[in-house]
Amino acid sequence: MRAPFSWLREYVTTSASAHEIARRLSVSALEVDRVIEAGVADVGDNLGRFVVGRVLAADKHPNADKLQLCQVDVGNPDPQQIVCGAWNFGVGATVAVGLPGARLPVLPGPLEERELRGQVSRGMILAEDEVGLGADHAGIMLLPDGIEPGTPLADVLPLHEQVLDVTPTMNRVDLLSMVGLAREVAALAGDELHPPDPEDPPIRRPEIVDVVVDDPVGCPRYIGRVFRDVAVGPSPQWLRSRLHLAGMRSISNVVDITNYVMHTWGSPLHAFDRRLLAGGRIVVRRAHAGETLRTLDGTMRTLLPSDLMITDGERSVALAAIMGGLESEVSEETTEVLLEAANFEPIGILRTSERLALRTDGSNRWEKGVDPHLAEPAAVLASRLLVDLAGAEPVGATDVQARLPERPVITLRPERTSRVVGLDVDADEQRVTLERLGFDVDPGWEVTVPTWRARDVTREIDLVEEVARLVLDRLPHTMPLRRAVAGHLTAAQRSRRLIEDVLVGAGFSEAYTWSLTPTDPHGEAIRLPDPMSGDHAVLRTTLLHGLVDAARVNVDAANEQVALFELARVYFPSGVQLPDERWRVGGIAEGGYEAARAAVEAVHDAFHVPLEPHRAVRSFLHPGKAAAVPSGWLGELHPMLLEGSWGVFELDVDTLVAPVPERILYEDVITYPANRQDIAVVVDDDVEAGALVATALGACGTVLREARVFDVYHGDQVGAGRKSVAVHLVFRSPERTIGDDEANALRERVVAALADRHGAELRAL
Amino acid sequence: MVRAAVPDSKSDTDVLTPRFSVRSRTMDVQALQADALAAVAAASSVEEIDAVRVEYLGRKSALKLALREVRDRETGMALNAARLALEEAVEARAAELARAELDRRLTEERVDVTLPVGTYRRGHLHLITQIRREVEDTFLGLGYRVVDGREVETTRYNFDALNFPPGHPARSPLHSLFLDDERVLRTETSPSQIRAMEAEQPPIYVVSLGRVYRRDTPDATHSPIFHQVEGLAVDEGITLADLTGTLDFLFRSLFGGERRTEFRTHYFPFTEPSIEAYVSCHVCDGDGCPVCRHSGWIEVGGAGMVDPALFEFVGYDPERYSGFAFGWGLERIAMLRHEFPDLRELWRNDLRFTRQF
Repeated sequence: MRAPFSWLREYVTTSASAHEIARRLSVSALEVDRVIEAGVADVGDNLGRFVVGRVLAADKHPNADKLQLCQVDVGNPDPQQIVCGAWNFGVGATVAVGLPGARLPVLPGPLEERELRGQVSRGMILAEDEVGLGADHAGIMLLPDGIEPGTPLADVLPLHEQVLDVTPTMNRVDLLSMVGLAREVAALAGDELHPPDPEDPPIRRPEIVDVVVDDPVGCPRYIGRVFRDVAVGPSPQWLRSRLHLAGMRSISNVVDITNYVMHTWGSPLHAFDRRLLAGGRIVVRRAHAGETLRTLDGTMRTLLPSDLMITDGERSVALAAIMGGLESEVSEETTEVLLEAANFEPIGILRTSERLALRTDGSNRWEKGVDPHLAEPAAVLASRLLVDLAGAEPVGATDVQARLPERPVITLRPERTSRVVGLDVDADEQRVTLERLGFDVDPGWEVTVPTWRARDVTREIDLVEEVARLVLDRLPHTMPLRRAVAGHLTAAQRSRRLIEDVLVGAGFSEAYTWSLTPTDPHGEAIRLPDPMSGDHAVLRTTLLHGLVDAARVNVDAANEQVALFELARVYFPSGVQLPDERWRVGGIAEGGYEAARAAVEAVHDAFHVPLEPHRAVRSFLHPGKAAAVPSGWLGELHPMLLEGSWGVFELDVDTLVAPVPERILYEDVITYPANRQDIAVVVDDDVEAGALVATALGACGTVLREARVFDVYHGDQVGAGRKSVAVHLVFRSPERTIGDDEANALRERVVAALADRHGAELRAL
Repeated sequence: MVRAAVPDSKSDTDVLTPRFSVRSRTMDVQALQADALAAVAAASSVEEIDAVRVEYLGRKSALKLALREVRDRETGMALNAARLALEEAVEARAAELARAELDRRLTEERVDVTLPVGTYRRGHLHLITQIRREVEDTFLGLGYRVVDGREVETTRYNFDALNFPPGHPARSPLHSLFLDDERVLRTETSPSQIRAMEAEQPPIYVVSLGRVYRRDTPDATHSPIFHQVEGLAVDEGITLADLTGTLDFLFRSLFGGERRTEFRTHYFPFTEPSIEAYVSCHVCDGDGCPVCRHSGWIEVGGAGMVDPALFEFVGYDPERYSGFAFGWGLERIAMLRHEFPDLRELWRNDLRFTRQF
């Protein structure tokens, strides 16, 4: 919403500057995006170089067919000769003149006297776009007759304008209006508010206005006013300028008036060409199934029975509150106008406008809930302007309304305000603030809410906010007492941090990939019924595919030493309403199986969880390099998924840390030294190291603390299809020293068990 | 040193011609000592001093032989004094030479310290994780706990319990990602407020950080998935000033101690009064620059006093308890603080980007 200051100042008398007002509004009322400096620059005496002129003579330039040579009275004894390219005026016209030296926003330097085809031109007769007051360049601006030549142009037009560009929050539709903004400015600065209050033009020869509202819920109020003898034409320059500065396009006087009044009061209006309404009637109803309407933008709209329509009883003439129909549009031929100043229920309007992806200045206000009481002052102001600017004759008026909502009455405890805010706000100050904002406060603090805030302010806390927002810049900065608090991470949160840190230490960088994926291997994975795109359609049950994509990005970027991990959630259907959201840690790294194994080992080691993988089959892994662990899997990525040799893994965090005891108990590993023995056995190639270790550990009980394979040898010495596996054995007891004799005996036991279970033959080391 | 006092047995087998031999009984102790000290001084390596040790102090040395055969006390004392002096001299010289050899070796072992070595590499936490931890740690220090919310929520927790009015845009499938009428990918971290309050009674001091989802087309400043931090404090006597004080503390810790904060009125369904928090621009310190879009202030996010409707939903007495809540995007903080222009980088996972932070 754009609010030109000269317009705003019509409704509030304030000595504050535009920037002061902007600052106060931004803290206490609404977001101020910026203050736009529009029009010609207000520097030096630049504004003084723009004056009103009267054309004394206008003839074709002797040497140019497309130019006029004009003599213009600019208030000096001698007329000013000006060469002009426009032809939309003649002798006697009152025009805007830029004198030599004037700086125009459209020119890089000051205007200079210069010769045009042999004739001196001392200035410029101005078109609206040349001074930032409009978009039109078809002709020069024509000012009302009767203004004295030489009058500063700035007295007549908003030649230099500061425009507030604001965005009210969605609860403050009342601030989508000049009057609403003026009221806020008045309340903040203690200034006086005077909203427009024109005389409602009297109806001399009344006619019936036939308005029927079939759906009073969708349309609680409909003011219809009929005008005859309407002269549709261009708007006067002041109106064109105001609309332009407010960000709207000038169309015709009748349409401009509806937009102007909407901007003034915040209640949108619509004007129909009444002769294009069958019987001149209005019937407000829901659409028939399959009904269509061509809206003003030329689009044919297919409607649903939930859409609210303005009809003439036979066919739809407007999509209520959103956009008029093309067929009943006001045009140059229009002489009779039916002015609609209505009120519409917000939610239905929002649904229709969203479904049709059709948002207008009107729907933007209606969907937020416009005060139904505003329809009347809006109708009055529009009527006044139609009479004044389009020569219209009012001939009829009707106001169809359902019961309009009551103004809420709320009890406020001023001490509660202070308690919530944390600042002692004087009760009198609270009363004055509320009254300035339009609330009525009785001596017992029964507060009656103004109609334009009735949707938004319904509880005591809402009143507290009204006071609070005006003292925000006075608030002290305190801290809550925080009695009985203890800030700590949960064990699960600490575990996740530890995993992250371990992997970072192992050379992995953290990736963030999307929770929504194109497909997922899990048959029951949760799909979005209406995804943003096919690429983001399913809630993933694995991190793998995001990581593969991330690795590919890095391969394409020729990055070296690519190692990525992600610790994030996956989502499994759970059988109950909400999915089972599980934390997973996944990784991908250059270096094939070994890279995955090293990372997974580091993570297990961090939690003192033994890593005991076993051979597994996963379609996305290399068939010979795939392993499973209780919490997930690891292996080498199947080269079909990404070229190269990539280690990948994914572990379920809860499962991984489940065996971790709450605390680790001390074990005496110091007093009695370990006895270490190495053995090497020859076995068939397909005997896995893990099986040998398990057998060894099983053979000796707890005295064998560790059995670790440290070498595997293939070669002539052991024969084809066989391998030699070297195992380091550590015997230790917390109670005694294991001597060599005992260790040797234990070692024999291990060897015997290995021979028995795996056909292992002892090989001399 | 032990080595000098107990001569190595191996060196005794070395055959060296004793310079002072059998005439020991009448040997000139002084001459022998002078001779030996000269040899000690002349030794220029560990090997040479070892040889000197064997020659003059070894088992077959003239001195040792003389000592073995000595009969009179006076000669014995003289010989012993010579032995001690010699041992001392040999020892000192040996240490000196050993040290010199060590020094020489170390000097020769010099490396080019400007040369990189090996392949050690460290990974990097994602920038958002770094900021997440920073925020978490700040609040842990203030006594808050961290709670993990859910990402798939019921519309009841995501909207109804948070007091979203029926026409609020977030309830529309145009803005949010629904699974069905009753389930939605959470549009903000705020449902965790409700879950925290349902789980226990005040006092509650928690923060919750995680992914949220909105139907936004990805561009430089929007992503359908992004991260929020949510904070909630519910206790007796919590005030709006407590909120601004807490945020002031947080922003200074995130953006620098010299920052100023400003709070402006705003609207959110779940807070009343609601405010938007601003911090003075850390680039221009308020003078105006492109980062703050020439306003001097940077909008960080929304906050407010917990709406009593939320207390009613979870069964707290709004007359007894009050609270504040705040929430905003971590991506925004990352972009502001590190001045990168396009948040999509945070999802591309290009290591050239990741390794910068």
